[in-house]
Amino acid sequence: MSRQTFVRAGVVSALVLLGVFAFWQTREGADERVIRQRLETLRTEVNDSTVDGLGTAARAAQIGTYFTEDAVVDLGGGAVPIRGRETLIGMVARLQPRTAAFRLELDDVGIEVVPGGTAADVLLTASFVRRIISTGEESRDAREFALVLVKADGVWRISRITAIDTLR
Amino acid sequence: MSLTRRVVFGRNPRRTAVRVLVLASLSFVMFRWVLIPIRAEGISMLPTYQSGSLNLVNRLAYLNDKPSRGDIVAIKLAGPHVLYVKRIIALPGERISLAAGQVYVNGAPLAEPYVRNRSPWDKPEVTLTSREYFVIGDNRGMSAKDHDFGRVDVSRIVGRVLF
Repeated sequence: MSRQTFVRAGVVSALVLLGVFAFWQTREGADERVIRQRLETLRTEVNDSTVDGLGTAARAAQIGTYFTEDAVVDLGGGAVPIRGRETLIGMVARLQPRTAAFRLELDDVGIEVVPGGTAADVLLTASFVRRIISTGEESRDAREFALVLVKADGVWRISRITAIDTLR
Repeated sequence: MSLTRRVVFGRNPRRTAVRVLVLASLSFVMFRWVLIPIRAEGISMLPTYQSGSLNLVNRLAYLNDKPSRGDIVAIKLAGPHVLYVKRIIALPGERISLAAGQVYVNGAPLAEPYVRNRSPWDKPEVTLTSREYFVIGDNRGMSAKDHDFGRVDVSRIVGRVLF
């Protein structure tokens, strides 16, 4: 084997290995894909807010369908956790005119389905992006959240959201 | 071979293709595992970094060295796509507190030439564990409640901001 062929074979092998590694890193199962899609739809619902003409209450109720009856949202910082889907829907309906000024982004969504496939742990970064009208700049408030999702009747719903203090 | 084809593909198209592949792979590796491009958003690192400024995070900076006081580091949240950029002001094992905007490390005031304005921030003294650093932004003129700062575990430090 000539030196040139050897180098060429080495480069091709390295590229193939890199491709396999990149594919292996990004592969995910069917449940993970469904959960990712569900969270993405929830994000869109929150961002659409009232701009699509759907009433505030109807929109809040729609967002509520992403949560279980006994869902708990713990935003930390000493705030009392929100317990139950009905309480959550009420809060979303009240907050919606204010949240319409924000855009929600979800990044670094890591999903781990527990054995049995009926529950999943999700870790993500949620960013609330607000445009400052006077300067045109965007201000981003990012926080890390741990979610627990459960699968009932074939549908994944959020049963718990806990804010994580990255800096304590 | 036409001039256009020669300009695009070079004299030897196969060699050009290999070069492009190698360059793309090197860039992929470089910008995924070695240098992370970042864009500052927000005002917490003013005046050092303006909102919207671009920078790079060196992920290999702490391969052999430990983070030092004064280093500007990137801190991961759930992953590497949204990062906090903060300055290290206290090291593992040290005692840190803030009184009227002045930082005290082990009871002594810390000189911080990079801080322009100081609001009267207060924080009771805490002792950092062997795995904790204390990080804070350079903009102390803003309200403390709008500024994320505090203790961070060493495992969350992604690397040092390059420029």
